[in-house]
Amino acid sequence: MAAPVRTARPTGGRPAPAPGGRRWGGLAYVLPSLLVLLVTALVPVFMTVGYSFTDYSILEDGEFVGFDNYTRMFSDPVFTSALRVTIIFTLISVPLQTIGALVLAETLAKRFRNRFGQFTRSVLFIPSIASMVVAGTVWRMLLGDQGLLNEILRGLGLEASNLLGRPTSALIAVSLIAVWANVGYFVVIYYAGILEVPASLYEASALDGAGGFRQFRHITWPGVSASTVVVVVLGTIWSFQTFDLIYVMTGGGPGGATSTLVFAIYRFGFQNFQMGYASAVAVVLLIGVLAISIVQNRLLTRKD
Amino acid sequence: MITRRLSTAALTLLMVSMAVASALPFLLMALTSLRTTRTFTLSFDFAQYHLENYVTLFTTHEFFQRLVTTIVVVVLACVLNIATATLAAFGFAKKPFPGSTAVFWTIIASMMVPIQATLIPLYSIMRELGLLNTYLGLALPLVGGFGVFLMKQFADGIPDELIDAARIDGAPDRTVFLRIAVPLMRPAIIALLIFTFLAAWNDFLWPLVSITRPDMGTITYAIATLSGRSTTNYGLVTAGATISFLGPFLAYVIFQRRFVEGIALSGSKT
Repeated sequence: MAAPVRTARPTGGRPAPAPGGRRWGGLAYVLPSLLVLLVTALVPVFMTVGYSFTDYSILEDGEFVGFDNYTRMFSDPVFTSALRVTIIFTLISVPLQTIGALVLAETLAKRFRNRFGQFTRSVLFIPSIASMVVAGTVWRMLLGDQGLLNEILRGLGLEASNLLGRPTSALIAVSLIAVWANVGYFVVIYYAGILEVPASLYEASALDGAGGFRQFRHITWPGVSASTVVVVVLGTIWSFQTFDLIYVMTGGGPGGATSTLVFAIYRFGFQNFQMGYASAVAVVLLIGVLAISIVQNRLLTRKD
Repeated sequence: MITRRLSTAALTLLMVSMAVASALPFLLMALTSLRTTRTFTLSFDFAQYHLENYVTLFTTHEFFQRLVTTIVVVVLACVLNIATATLAAFGFAKKPFPGSTAVFWTIIASMMVPIQATLIPLYSIMRELGLLNTYLGLALPLVGGFGVFLMKQFADGIPDELIDAARIDGAPDRTVFLRIAVPLMRPAIIALLIFTFLAAWNDFLWPLVSITRPDMGTITYAIATLSGRSTTNYGLVTAGATISFLGPFLAYVIFQRRFVEGIALSGSKT
């Protein structure tokens, strides 16, 4: 049935396609997407790498300077601090949101598969639909001097806190707000993963007398490992990209204590106009994100 | 049985407190937006509630123009993303050409590139194209490889027999695409629509670096600047934040099931 299709294809008012025309017909469909992505993603990647070897700035057109930007970067406290902040932010937020989402999803799937559970899942997801700008704006006010937190502290007769004004507590606070913002999204992924674990496994182990925790450890945890890879990788990539939340909550302060890598790119590139130098920082971010994506592919294909 | 009931009670309490923690900040935001206040706390003194903050936003902070900008950019981004992705997915799945596999993987690879890492060249390219401070310039970076990836999974599932049958009946490719492929890709199109809507509405970094004309600012961009400037009246800031929150929130309330399906669709099958 497939063979006559080629000859039976009417040509309408247009000239008959050349023998090669049909082979390339698909290209026309792909071209719009390819063109946009070339301009907005693919060419810029190579340009970022290219810029990073120049001193391109608002004053200079950009001369080749070899690895100067990279050597400068690793002795620049602004950059090393941004790298450290990004890593600490990731180390706080990723484990907490992963464990939190898994525990919530497991509880909801095992104990609340009813309307109450459904409602809870819907509400947990609300922070994921709000922009980080809205979330950060609200939390800055909540944790601020005249916010609800201090109102409660004063009500209890305690001293008002200045969480966002001190370096260590500010970094911990923005990391925890990120957990708050992301956890509902990961609950959805874990919940779907848990539902895919065959119910027969739980029934069999219940007959063997396994309790909730042993079932979680021996059935759910290995059963959702693919979801775990997605949650950890996506969470790590998101935390590497963090900017909006911190921009509105602390502006990167106090004293750079919450300045992430993206903050450094923004500051070097769009405030100091040292585009070459900022590009070198962007390359570091790029390598980090690509490395995580590649690890994810390895882990997921190994499973299949 | 008693321990079971106790643990159910404890777990219910835990779930309720988690739900409250997720929703309360937004409720507080909406309530504060109805007051003129320098505090951010719960107040049930409804006599003091008013809509002045919203009026101020629209009269002196150009929120009408910002709303228009946001909606135009959101619509442009959704249309561009869905059109290019469905076309490309159909091409890759049903009309392969020499080298199409390599092109497909190139597009998939572009998904891994974070915009934060390409901001600087993106800015130069958009400036060269004269697209800075334009709706199209704000929308284009929101078009991504993710849509192609998502659609391709559905396009692959379209039976070849269906396409062949339509061609035998004399349908041109355009008709096959619009009448057969697009309806079958509908679930993925809706998922992509939701993702693009959220990304475009909530986008901040690209508008921040690329907008130099204040009237081209989106709502999200506007409240970030508002929140930095106005510390005298939290009501005004929260009114802006509430408007910004309301777009995605209403979409979520209406299309709730689709949101969750969309994440499951994309999240579990990376």
